[in-house]
Amino acid sequence: MYRKQVRRRRAVLALLIVSSFVLLTLTYQGSSGLQRGVSTIFSPVQSVTDRALKPARDLVGWFDKTFDARGENSRLKDELATARLKAVAGEEALQENAQLRKLLSLNEDPVFAYSAYESVTGRVIGRSPTSWRSSVTIDLGSGDGVRVDDPVVSGDGLVGRISAVEPGSSQVMLLTDHASSVAAKVVPPGVQGAIEPEVGNPEVLILNFIDSTRRVHAGQDVVTSGWRAQGIGSHFPPGLPLGEVTKASVVEQEANQKVDVRPFADLRNLDIVQVLTGGSRE
Amino acid sequence: MIVTPRIVARLAAIGLLAVLLQLSFFSRVELFHVSPDVLPALVACIGLLGGSMAGAVSGFAIGFFLDCLLVEALGVTSLVLLGTGYLAGLFRERFEIHSSLVPPLLCMGFTLLAELGYGAAELLLGLDAPISILIVRDMLLKSVYAFFLGWPIYLGLRRVLRPALVEEPRVRRRRQPTVLGA
Repeated sequence: MYRKQVRRRRAVLALLIVSSFVLLTLTYQGSSGLQRGVSTIFSPVQSVTDRALKPARDLVGWFDKTFDARGENSRLKDELATARLKAVAGEEALQENAQLRKLLSLNEDPVFAYSAYESVTGRVIGRSPTSWRSSVTIDLGSGDGVRVDDPVVSGDGLVGRISAVEPGSSQVMLLTDHASSVAAKVVPPGVQGAIEPEVGNPEVLILNFIDSTRRVHAGQDVVTSGWRAQGIGSHFPPGLPLGEVTKASVVEQEANQKVDVRPFADLRNLDIVQVLTGGSRE
Repeated sequence: MIVTPRIVARLAAIGLLAVLLQLSFFSRVELFHVSPDVLPALVACIGLLGGSMAGAVSGFAIGFFLDCLLVEALGVTSLVLLGTGYLAGLFRERFEIHSSLVPPLLCMGFTLLAELGYGAAELLLGLDAPISILIVRDMLLKSVYAFFLGWPIYLGLRRVLRPALVEEPRVRRRRQPTVLGA
């Protein structure tokens, strides 16, 4: 009797392990009908739960932010001083740009270089619980015109791209996910590279593979480069704000051809995001 | 654990509620820059109360449901949580839980184990980016949160699953005889 029980138990365990591997294989083969069904049924429930729990989240967030407020205050003061200097420089650049554009008779506004895209606004309804993955689920799906690889932005800049789409929801692979890589450039020098994450550290991105002969300095901004050549190109339009260079030592630049970047978007506290649809398929 | 349709329904409801709470609340609040992960603690508690099979099956189902809602690759979370539930169940079948500190401590340990499991799975599936040392802080803090959340989860589950639990009858303490009028 006892042996029979043990045998049955082992059989169930083996079956569950095999099922996990089968599911994994099926996912990578692209057939996820069951996942689509479950996701379609539960994404409205998830959306309602998300809204209902917002006050509770805000309460916990308030406690957390109170702990951080002291350090944040002095950092913000420093940032404000830097921003003032930048604003003055930006004003000059805008005037110069306007004059140049007049000369070139360009009709497009450079700020909205990604106007070929249509933006759809959505809400974050779930987030991966483990530190090893960095993805969120949003309440927009294929029904809203969202497709795989569409860029996703927040009010502060690029946050990631769509990595999977279901009828009522989509998965957004954030810039901090280990599989994420974005072609980027530092402005003003125009040094090109690829923005990659450091797994487990959402506050730092690495601008990799940069040209070691041209210097990058802390405080410079990083935007998407949006390259396109011979029919292939970046998924992201050019000029989307990504972050600010925080650490750019000469040794790191020369030896490893990389600098540290702090993302503009607060990737840990995303609530409302916009998906830029349509552009990449044109 | 005596498995009846009613108990299965209760476990399914608990799993569903826990996954929704995890996605909409726990994953999106941060204390000291780290979000708690209650699912390994929940699965460990199911294993501790119901044994290895209950733990493994619940872990698999909860993992599958989580991956479906996150539109993630299916199978990874199922595998990690089924291992967590099975090991917690084995602990229950081999050892007695004498102290009230044991369930939260086990929740802490199993959460750390689950995080290591996620890491191993991601490494096996291909991790191209460099890994920050801060991930160790994340894993340790998640385990500490699991310690504090483990006890209410364990008590709540024991209350909900009480009709199905096979428990040793408690040995009642004998009262010292008192002498009337003394």
